Amino acid sequence: MSDSTESLMGTFPQLLKVRLQRDGDRPAMREKAYGIWQTWTLNEFCNEATALAAGLSDLGFQRGETLVIIGDNRPRLYGAMLAVQSLGGIPVPAYQDSVAEEIQYVVEHAEARFIVAENQEQVDKSLEIKEHCPRVEKIIYCDPKGLRKYDPNVVVDIQEVMKRGRNALAKTPDLVDQEIAAGRLSDPAIILYTSGTTGRPKGVVLTHENLVVTAKNANAFDNITADEETLAYLPMAWVGDNAFSFAMGLVAGFCVNCPESSSTVAQNLREIGPTYYFAPPRVFESVLTSVMIRMKDAGPFKQRLFNYFMAVAKRTGVDLMDGKSVPLMDRIKYALGEVLIFGPLKNTLGLGRVRVAYTAGEAIGPEIFDFYRSIGINLKQLYGQTEATVFITMQPDGLVRSESVGTPPPGVELRIEDNGEVLYRSPGVFLEYFKNAEATSETKTDDNWVRTGDAGYIDGEGHLRIIDRAKDVGKLTDSSMFAPKFLENKLKFFPEIKEVVTFGDGRDFVTAFVNIDLDAVGNWAERNNVSYASYQELAAHPQVYQLIQECIEQVNQSLASDAHLSASQIKRFLILHKELDPDDGELTRTRKVRRRIINERYGDLIEALFDGRTRCFVSTEVVFEDGRRGKIEADLEIRDATVHQTTSKAA
Amino acid sequence: MAFDLFLLEVVISGLMTGVMYALVALGFVLIFKASGIFNFAQGVLALFAALALYDFLSEDGWFFSLFGFTLPVWLAIPATAAIMIFLAWIIERSVLRFLVKQDQIILFMATIGLAFVLEGLGDLLFGSDVKPLNIGIPQGASDWALDTFNLYIEKLEIVAAATAAVLVIILAIFFQKTRIGRALRAVADDHQAALSVGVSLDKIWVIVWSVSGIVALVAGIMWGSKSGVQFSLSLIALKALPVLILGGFTSVPGAIVGGLIIGVGEKVAEVYLGPYVGGALENWFAYMLALAFLLFRPQGLFGERIIERV
Amino acid sequence: MNDRAQDQILLEVDAISLSFGGVHALTDVSFDIRKGEVRSIIGPNGAGKSSMLNVINGFYHPQQGTITYQGQKRSQMKPHEAARGGIARTFQNIALFRGMSTLDNIMTGRNTQMSKGLFWQALRIGPALREEIENREFVEHVIDFLEIQAIRKTPVGKLPYGLQKRVELGRALAAEPTLLLLDEPMAGMNLEEKEDMSRFILETNEEFGTTIALIEHDMSVVMDISDRVVVLDYGRKIADGTPEEVRANQSVIDAYLGVSHD
Ligand SMILES: Nc1ncnc2c1ncn2[C@@H]1O[C@H](COP(=O)(O)OP(=O)(O)OP(=O)(O)O)[C@@H](O)[C@H]1O
Ligand SMILES: [Mg+2]
Repeated sequence: MSDSTESLMGTFPQLLKVRLQRDGDRPAMREKAYGIWQTWTLNEFCNEATALAAGLSDLGFQRGETLVIIGDNRPRLYGAMLAVQSLGGIPVPAYQDSVAEEIQYVVEHAEARFIVAENQEQVDKSLEIKEHCPRVEKIIYCDPKGLRKYDPNVVVDIQEVMKRGRNALAKTPDLVDQEIAAGRLSDPAIILYTSGTTGRPKGVVLTHENLVVTAKNANAFDNITADEETLAYLPMAWVGDNAFSFAMGLVAGFCVNCPESSSTVAQNLREIGPTYYFAPPRVFESVLTSVMIRMKDAGPFKQRLFNYFMAVAKRTGVDLMDGKSVPLMDRIKYALGEVLIFGPLKNTLGLGRVRVAYTAGEAIGPEIFDFYRSIGINLKQLYGQTEATVFITMQPDGLVRSESVGTPPPGVELRIEDNGEVLYRSPGVFLEYFKNAEATSETKTDDNWVRTGDAGYIDGEGHLRIIDRAKDVGKLTDSSMFAPKFLENKLKFFPEIKEVVTFGDGRDFVTAFVNIDLDAVGNWAERNNVSYASYQELAAHPQVYQLIQECIEQVNQSLASDAHLSASQIKRFLILHKELDPDDGELTRTRKVRRRIINERYGDLIEALFDGRTRCFVSTEVVFEDGRRGKIEADLEIRDATVHQTTSKAA
Repeated sequence: MAFDLFLLEVVISGLMTGVMYALVALGFVLIFKASGIFNFAQGVLALFAALALYDFLSEDGWFFSLFGFTLPVWLAIPATAAIMIFLAWIIERSVLRFLVKQDQIILFMATIGLAFVLEGLGDLLFGSDVKPLNIGIPQGASDWALDTFNLYIEKLEIVAAATAAVLVIILAIFFQKTRIGRALRAVADDHQAALSVGVSLDKIWVIVWSVSGIVALVAGIMWGSKSGVQFSLSLIALKALPVLILGGFTSVPGAIVGGLIIGVGEKVAEVYLGPYVGGALENWFAYMLALAFLLFRPQGLFGERIIERV
Repeated sequence: MNDRAQDQILLEVDAISLSFGGVHALTDVSFDIRKGEVRSIIGPNGAGKSSMLNVINGFYHPQQGTITYQGQKRSQMKPHEAARGGIARTFQNIALFRGMSTLDNIMTGRNTQMSKGLFWQALRIGPALREEIENREFVEHVIDFLEIQAIRKTPVGKLPYGLQKRVELGRALAAEPTLLLLDEPMAGMNLEEKEDMSRFILETNEEFGTTIALIEHDMSVVMDISDRVVVLDYGRKIADGTPEEVRANQSVIDAYLGVSHD
């Protein structure tokens, strides 16, 4: 089986033509509708797609043209994707939750004449878009509910289009087959618009080759076979869903299950019991929170049982999963926990059968990550982006860490620029940004290396660690990397520390401003009989300085163990006399540090941190809550923190 | 070792009695759930059913004197079931219909009256002597249990337990997964809403009483086969009360578990504690247990709220 | 609304009077409901709106007057006659079967559509099983229509208020009613829930041609979705007509502004 898959090469429609011979009766897609899981065999799925393709062609759809798809994960919509690809067209899935204006940009930019919309909600949006984009000709819908009275010249039932297609096929049976045969691997297979934190979204064009080769590699990496079960519940417009559900599914031949509605995902997960599962960190986090809340409501006996076995899991679960040696007694306890707690818990979460689970998109909290691994779910991290057809690095089984994101899978090369930026080259590297040559050349070098925009380094184990956005990363005078946000986040992990600003770019060493957290430190003060009258007084208290110093030294210790970051240990710090405040312009409204303003207001303090003074006077203008202006003055202590020798060698 | 086997035998025989209690309690729960009526006549219904069945089967019954032949068992049982349904219909027509809007206590009184009427009627029609009921359930100890586990268990008891289990499963499916079952639960939940979807209360009550009647018939057959049909049969209704207190008045599983606990509890108590307290513990153990429950868990093991409805 | 059916009268109440002891809940009220229309009944609190619905579906028996439904004239309805005749309703204070799941609640709405006898049902075999499956299928369409798949198996007692109202509508819709009586279906809902509910009501009316009698206090909703409106005040009819006519009617304005009656 894997042999023949190995030898397969071609566009998706071509690939499926070959697979049809062998796997025609295998389930390809499932969808829960009217309370029942309905199955499409590969035959049925392809037949529908062919009929739809013929119908679209009859409506005038041309090779190379785009078609926008809006809706939840539905077999019909995946079918539409395949139909468009069969004709040599390019499907453009849009985020179904976006408002009309956002989708309008995509429709306009992709120059689409056709939209396939799931239901009334999406048709209404599409009609609104059509008012501004006269190019749009047809809006094809899947669910007819509530659409009876719409203009049939514009809004068309997908069943009608398929019927048209079947009629056309009756006359010219090889209508679609010819188009499929004309497809080439280098043809664009899909355009995915990335939300882009700044500026307009960019349309990432991926070719069939990108998707097919990447899917094969990813399948091989985790031994993904035709026997997997997955639930397609993340937006179709997101590259991950396209890779996991569409590309990997069609290549490996496993069945993709679509939930009944977005509100039933948790139940459907339980019914399907996927073996291969993907979720962004926030999903894992919110599931964990709800488990903890439910446990708080449970009876005392259950709670004690849960706490006991979770402690066992914490001690031994991760080691067991990584195949390390674990004392026999712990093994027995863990096995008991599996029967009493972990097993039932995994089943209620719908993760009881998971063989491989991935999280990506942003950093996942180490406690959350370890929780899932400790109860026996093989959760791993991967690092990727749309431009790479997802995969840049992945964690191989047995080599899973919470702080790094793994190694490049076969076929992917990594390179770290001098400024710390991570670059990669792989078979998944995108063709271009649609109609945006400038952005393409900024991101992709002539020899096909792509800038990720992220700064990172390869650690002692050979795993990639991502630490910051590249543009925020500076350099110390010894030319080692200085990643301020990374350091600040590490420090803010302590509840006593509310804000931190670190300095070091172009300097010999790293220093920091600290804001204490009034609640946490106030609490601590009460418990330790430290009396204070104001924030300023508390912040200047020697014992508080001691407290913060301990936090900083703890961070230094962990930095010291890492050759790339050792130079970033914080040598000197001070505790600010006032809280950094959006009203004073020091923070943005979303509480991000405004470095320029800080540099201006506290220039002398910063110099003092570097020139060795042990005290520094400061006078700051502030805006009080009632709007009055005033001055706060203070003579701040500056302390040295212990820094350590590097404890490990550079990779 | 021998001691353990003995305990096991006591427990098993307790379970069998418990099944009987559970069946009677089940009849109570059904009617109570659907109409809020505490049916004091449930035990008498079992007696009445057993009497009617005996009548169809024996040559000194009414049926024989009227028609000159007796019915085979496989016909006599459905015929008795038909009589129980007919009885339910009569009760609905002549009693319930006129008392629907009355207080619960009045309905309760009405069922006490009903109990006396049925008991009197039974006496009048069938006489008050003990009648041996034989519907062909094999008698004596089960050889299989004796050989394999060295346990003494009556065949009758095994049949009784199996029959009760089947009945409970059928009832559970009936209640959960059929139109009429849903209608019954609907009526129990909200009369007005049930009316608005076209459930007719009269019919539902006939059905509930019929179902209770049939459950009573099964209880009557088992008890009658064991100790003969006699008036003491109606007294097991009194044991159903502690069962209900244990299990909760509105809970079908409660009735079953409660019945089993009391059945086993009183047998074990009798055998192991009886000698110290002077015997006859079996007669009042159930009430003591119920009293304890009333003090510590008035809603019963599975019940929701009993106070409001009784 | 279906123009062809515009003028056929589905229900007519004529000179209905209903009192409870000394309280005159309804006095000499007459109006009709046409096939396929959305007919609203409005009026201040205690005006007799709910009483009117109760008369129509047979919960209350008026002392005087007649009810003509589908051409059949009677002096009173019986609840199960009304249900069998295709009248379904929801209640002002939600009346769901709290111990049952959403699915079972809606299944009870199919009660009048199912006929297989006790014998088959007791064993749940043969015709009864087939019937059960067919009706479950219908109910699944209702669930899909109301977008409540996620709460299919949840006991309704655990649902938030807005969803309970939706389930109650589902139970009524499951009966495939000819006439749907809705007693304040949007009371106590937030704006979004109200919009959803209005959409479901309108779609029911348009897609299935169901005639709807609606009691509602939110005037913007009433004016938006009704074809005709009848206004009650102190148990009497004070106005009847299109939303525009009613809005312009002086006695309606007085009743709503609380001008004293003497
Ligand atoms: N079952 C009853 N018994 C006694 N009086 C009743 C009954 N039902 C209604 N009434 C009385 O009839 C009058 C009309 O009540 P009804 O509930 O029909 O008003 P409504 O217009 O629906 O008011 P609301 O807007 O508050 O729901 C009120 O005075 C009410 O108290
Ligand atoms: Mg009312």
